[in-house]
This record gives sequence, C-alpha cells and structure tokens, in this order.
Amino acid sequence: MIKRKNGKYAFLATIGLILFVTGLILIKFSQTSEGMLLTLPYIFVGVGMGIFGHNLGELMKNIALAKDPEAAKQIEIEANDERNIAISHKAKAKAYDAMLLIFGALMLVFALMQVNLNIILTFVAAYLLLIIINIYYLRKFQKEM
Amino acid sequence: MENKLEEIRKQHGMNQEELAAVLEVSRQTIGSLENGRYNPSILLAFKIARYFHMHIEDIFIYKEDYNDDDKA
Repeated sequence: MIKRKNGKYAFLATIGLILFVTGLILIKFSQTSEGMLLTLPYIFVGVGMGIFGHNLGELMKNIALAKDPEAAKQIEIEANDERNIAISHKAKAKAYDAMLLIFGALMLVFALMQVNLNIILTFVAAYLLLIIINIYYLRKFQKEM
Repeated sequence: MENKLEEIRKQHGMNQEELAAVLEVSRQTIGSLENGRYNPSILLAFKIARYFHMHIEDIFIYKEDYNDDDKA
C-alpha cells in the first residue's frame, strides 16, 4: 500500500518538476504572448513547484518512516486519535464561522469602496457557494447519521 | 461526566503512555480523559472497559444534572 503511494508521489513530483521547468522555459523564450497566456508560465512555475514540493516531501517522509516502524505507528495513532479528530473538526467549524463574518465584512468594505461590480458579484457567488456547501453537508449528514 | 480512569490505570500499574499505546490513542487523550476535559466516544469507552475487564458504568459516571454543553 505504502509502496503504491510512493509510486504516486514520485509520479506527481515528476509532473510538478516538468511543469516547473516548462514554466521557466516559457518565461525565458516566449515574449509574444498576450493577455491570459502571459501569466501561464508563471502559473506553471507556481503550481509545478507546489506539486513537486508537496509530493517530494510526502515521498521523503514515507521513506524515512519505512526505516522507523515505531514512529510510523505513532504518527498513525496521532492521525486516527478521536480527540485529535474532534479538535480538528471543532477548529474547522470555528474557522468557517469566522470566515463567513470576515467575508461579509469584506464584501461590505468592497461595496463601500465602490470596487468593480464584477469583483463584488464574484465574492457574493463564492460566499453563497460556501453556504450552499454547508447546507448540502448538513442535509447529507442528517440522512446518514 | 466523571470517571475513575486514573485510579483504575494506577491500580493496574500502568502509566499514561502504556495505556495510550494499548488503546491506540494519543497520550494526551488519556490525560484529557483523566482530567475530565474530554468525554470519550462510546467506542473508546467500550475499548477501555473491555481492556480492564469492567463495565463502562464502573469507569465512567454519568450524572443527571451534568451540563455538557461546553464540553467536547
């Protein structure tokens, strides 16, 4: 199972590296791009580095833990510990409540600053989407539990 | 909810780390249970009771007037 996961991490790290290098090459050699295409190489560099770093980190962690089964077991216990899971869920719930307030305040500030309507509407759509996701999971869990 | 976990653990000559390892939970969870800061799931309560060959009610004491609104 871990070997298969290591394969996945190695594959994704390679993809990330390819994206990163492609981005660098595009920045160096393409000067004719316009509009959205102009930012594409920079997106490649950012996303590529992110994917590469995350997956290489996971791969190295797994390799290190394979040599130390006791530490691996302890990490597994910490990850599955019911109190840790409850704490994590509670923290996420608090952050969600805070996010709704902060987003609401930010929308108001944007409206008072008379920011472009498209930006405000995008913000409102994101805000509504979060609330819809919340309602969806409330209904889903009410049926399941 | 109150419990006698610390007392029972000490009667069995175990420290928190050992009990945590047996129950496959973190040491902090054992500490929080013993301090009454955290109430276990029914599964963990059964696991603890089974390990000590006791009934859940012998370890965990439920009080009718207990207000657990602000507990985890």
